[in-house]
Amino acid sequence: MNTRVRQLLRSFLLWELLKGLRVTGRHLFARKITVQYPEEKTPKSPRFRGLHALRRYPNGEERCIACKLCEAVCPAAAITIESEEREDGTRRTTRYDIDLFKCIYCGFCEEACPVDSIVETHIHEFHFENRGENVITKEQLLAIGDQYEAEIAAARGTDAPYR
Amino acid sequence: MLSEQAVNEINREIDKYPPEHKQAALMATLSIAQRELGHLSTQVMDWIAAFLGVPPIRVREVATFYSMYDLHPVGQHKICVCSNISCMLRGSDEVIQHLEERLGVKIGDTTPSGGITLKEVECLGACAGAPMMQVGDAYHEHLTPERIDAILDELENSDA
Amino acid sequence: MPTIEIDGRKLEVEAGKMVIQAADEAGIYIPRFCYHPKLSVAANCRMCMVEIEKAPKPMPACATPITDGMKVYTSSPLAVEAQKGTMEFLLINHPLDCPVCDQGGECPLQDQAVGYGKDVSRFTENKRVVKDKDIGPLIATEMTRCIHCTRCVRFGQEIAGVMELGATGRGEHMEIGTYVGRTVDSELSGNMIDLCPVGALTNKPYRFTARSWELVAGSGVSPHDCVGTNLEMHSLRNVVKRVLPVENDAINECWLSDRDRFSYQSFNSADRLLVPKIHESGNWMETDWETALRYTVQGVRAVLSHHGAQQLGALVTPTATLEEFFLAQKLMRSLGCHNIDHRLRQSDFSDDDIAPLFPTLGSPIEHLEHAKAVLLVGANIRKDQPLLGLRVRKASLRGARVMAINSLDYSFHFDLAGKVIAPPEEIPYALARVVAAMGDSADAPGGLRAWASSEPTQSEREIAELLQQAGKDAHIVLGLSAIAHPQFSVLRGLAQALQTRTGARLGVLAEANSVGGWLAGCVPHRGPVGQDVGEGGLHALDMLREPRKAFLLMGLEPQLDCLESRVAADAVDAAEFVVRMTAFDIEDGVPGDVLLPVTPFSETSGTYVNCEGRAQSTTGVVPPQGEARPLWKVLRVIGNLLDQPDFEYVSSEEVRRELVWDADAYQPHDMPRMLSEPETPANGKGIDVERVLDVPLYKVDPYVRRAPALQATRDNPAPAAYMNSEQAGKLAVENGDRIHAHMGESSVELDLIIDERVPTDSVYIPSGYHETAPLGGVGMVRIVKVS
Repeated sequence: MNTRVRQLLRSFLLWELLKGLRVTGRHLFARKITVQYPEEKTPKSPRFRGLHALRRYPNGEERCIACKLCEAVCPAAAITIESEEREDGTRRTTRYDIDLFKCIYCGFCEEACPVDSIVETHIHEFHFENRGENVITKEQLLAIGDQYEAEIAAARGTDAPYR
Repeated sequence: MLSEQAVNEINREIDKYPPEHKQAALMATLSIAQRELGHLSTQVMDWIAAFLGVPPIRVREVATFYSMYDLHPVGQHKICVCSNISCMLRGSDEVIQHLEERLGVKIGDTTPSGGITLKEVECLGACAGAPMMQVGDAYHEHLTPERIDAILDELENSDA
Repeated sequence: MPTIEIDGRKLEVEAGKMVIQAADEAGIYIPRFCYHPKLSVAANCRMCMVEIEKAPKPMPACATPITDGMKVYTSSPLAVEAQKGTMEFLLINHPLDCPVCDQGGECPLQDQAVGYGKDVSRFTENKRVVKDKDIGPLIATEMTRCIHCTRCVRFGQEIAGVMELGATGRGEHMEIGTYVGRTVDSELSGNMIDLCPVGALTNKPYRFTARSWELVAGSGVSPHDCVGTNLEMHSLRNVVKRVLPVENDAINECWLSDRDRFSYQSFNSADRLLVPKIHESGNWMETDWETALRYTVQGVRAVLSHHGAQQLGALVTPTATLEEFFLAQKLMRSLGCHNIDHRLRQSDFSDDDIAPLFPTLGSPIEHLEHAKAVLLVGANIRKDQPLLGLRVRKASLRGARVMAINSLDYSFHFDLAGKVIAPPEEIPYALARVVAAMGDSADAPGGLRAWASSEPTQSEREIAELLQQAGKDAHIVLGLSAIAHPQFSVLRGLAQALQTRTGARLGVLAEANSVGGWLAGCVPHRGPVGQDVGEGGLHALDMLREPRKAFLLMGLEPQLDCLESRVAADAVDAAEFVVRMTAFDIEDGVPGDVLLPVTPFSETSGTYVNCEGRAQSTTGVVPPQGEARPLWKVLRVIGNLLDQPDFEYVSSEEVRRELVWDADAYQPHDMPRMLSEPETPANGKGIDVERVLDVPLYKVDPYVRRAPALQATRDNPAPAAYMNSEQAGKLAVENGDRIHAHMGESSVELDLIIDERVPTDSVYIPSGYHETAPLGGVGMVRIVKVS
């Protein structure tokens, strides 16, 4: 009997509602944690896996030696490489394409690379406007690498002790 | 290419072996040719290969394997320093260093005057007298810097 | 048989075998680098160490013969420790450049390092570096990677028969290399690439273009010679990247000739014809198949209606498949014309009617190495059929006496027990004297006396004697120069006489898939499987000498592939309508009216029949490039468009099923062989010299001519006139002179090179070159110095 009365009272006095509003009230005055993207951004781990880049050595020589290990390890078969002997007798790629629609950003290519050439940068905000632009070429990848080299090197440096 | 006498000598060596094993005379032939011409040039190795009917590369294999064959011109005197284990333990490194300093040339080179060639060779079978070196046909054992100087002085005097 | 125990398994093994052989047969794995079943035992890599009971130390399995009751442990702690120790030493000087090494992914050293290597090297000193050597256009070197197993050296010495690589220096200074500045020129050098267990010797044309794991393998058969070598074509994204042998002990063992290995370069050459073209008002216009085929059919119909079927002529390259030969002849015969042939480099067809069903080696290939005597007539077996050459070499090493009757003193990789080197004209006389030297006999061929009028020379007598001694273990081989000889029928008749006299086996080694051509009826006088076709038609040479009004040229370049290159070019030039079905664009060459792009053998399914009569079918390993289509499909459609019945094949297998043969059951026309009369040369032995004709091995077909790596080898002589010093003295010319070579009305300007392999009274001018093509075929040449 007692419990029935208590239930009746609770429902008429909107007890549950008030209880819920208490949480609302508390958060209304608490410190805000919403990040105002894109004006604000969260910090990223040095291991963040975004858009790819091909790196160069400080002397300007491309790192990639066309060993094709990234192509072999890629679970999505997103990488296509063609290679040949360059005039100076070194092994180089003539084509290095990554299909960013196929790519699942797993980072295996980066893991497989014996010369730290293919890397995944912090860039995660990119888009395409035309069909076919999703396949990025060696030139584009090298240009990304050139532009963000400082950032890429810093990220590798931070992570180096744990590798 | 070689004198008649040398060719006769080579033929005598060839005769020691069955006719189908002419190449057995290869080492002797190389020695005879080197004695006559001072060193084994590519031309003379070609000639020997044709003479014995063996592939030229086979001649080169043998000529490069044994340190007693010279593939480049050598000076009037050839100093061969053994650097194998007995000699090494008894200080052949110092012997070589001393020789290099005294003669002003590195191992394998000839003094600018063309007088002395310095060579590092494999064991010459005189381990009891280590460290040792061979000058011409003579063995010099228990070498010390002083003894080396004396030997070199003698060589230089004999030339003068 | 002794019983041994390996890893607890009891095995019965033939006495005299090594432990590693016993283990291999039982499927027990022992690591190794220097051991190879086809090479001698060197035991210098020390990787195959195993523990043997009662032996104080581990023993190399490759150099330890088995004994009864032996107990071997391949993976006991002692054995594994020894193997791991060896591996650590091997890796001391081996660079860590697997990512850029072409051997990476298929490297025994890499694989075994996973099994027996440490993850960290204890070697802290500097690694040794060896300078690379340029050893020719086929093999790339990276000698720092070499582990000195000497497989390549032993291959050269034992198999290829020319020691070109050797190990110089000793100890740490040991290097594998050639003699000062020389290259590796063996026609089998590519096998060293396969043998090398590391990346020291790699494939130069393939260098850095693909990795082993991404290649798709498809099996094929080599069409370049009559051996029928089994091979595997490796392709990446439908482009053939390299060719490797497939082991088949009955045919090629585990070897592959360089020609078979590197001819794939032509598949991707820049002048591949990828769209049909029509010649209109002086220009070549690209067009589609429908237009091109309609144009073709119109042209053929026009010639048929104006001049009749007899004015058609069809020539097929001997590298075509059995199916293609069959459809080509079916098409021609259904049009009522027997003018079809594939024997482009033959000049004497007079014994066609009594020829056997197809030219054959006369025995399985394997038997060749057990011959006691081999007589080569007009045969450069080492270069023309490199893998048969290997068998003859094996026979020679087993004590067989090999003899040669040739017009060039070829350098063989076996010793000759007797030889006759004479100008082509003299060859039948020499062979006839060998027959005569065996004494009179009732079954001698008619007309022998006229050929054997003079006394046999000493060497001819010796050849006769050696052949008689060997009896039925002798093997007589007629090669490509014999087939090209103007008296081929006489040579074959004489060789048959030798065969009947001694019981020897007789082989005729024709070009490429010529056996398939005979079987499919791609000859003017016989239909498929030797069917009687009555009158027959014109053979290859007559078709060109009495030019037809229209030609169907399938896969050949007339001025390079036909013996009478001059006549061929003129005939094609003069024809009203020429259809060329070709894999390569030949706009600059002899004109035509239609170019139909057909596929090379990598893109065609079909059957090749080798010199044993063994038919081997392949499926093609990559899809056709561009608009190119297999020749059999093109022929089938032309058949349809010409409204011929029974051209409804949908696959090459269907075509193949129409051809069934029993080689033993076939009986050629039974006619007594009459040798044709010798002709006295019209102008005698004046100042003219006889041309020795020989197609260098890298000029034999359109494929190899488009393989740049093969063209860069030293087996590819300069297009020049070669003559011995005696003959040069007679003609007052010197080495390096520019000379005019005149044959009939044609002449070319060439360099003169002194070459003592050429007999006196003759000059060797190789064919298969654009430079020598205007000259023509066999005959007398007048050499005049350019003033």
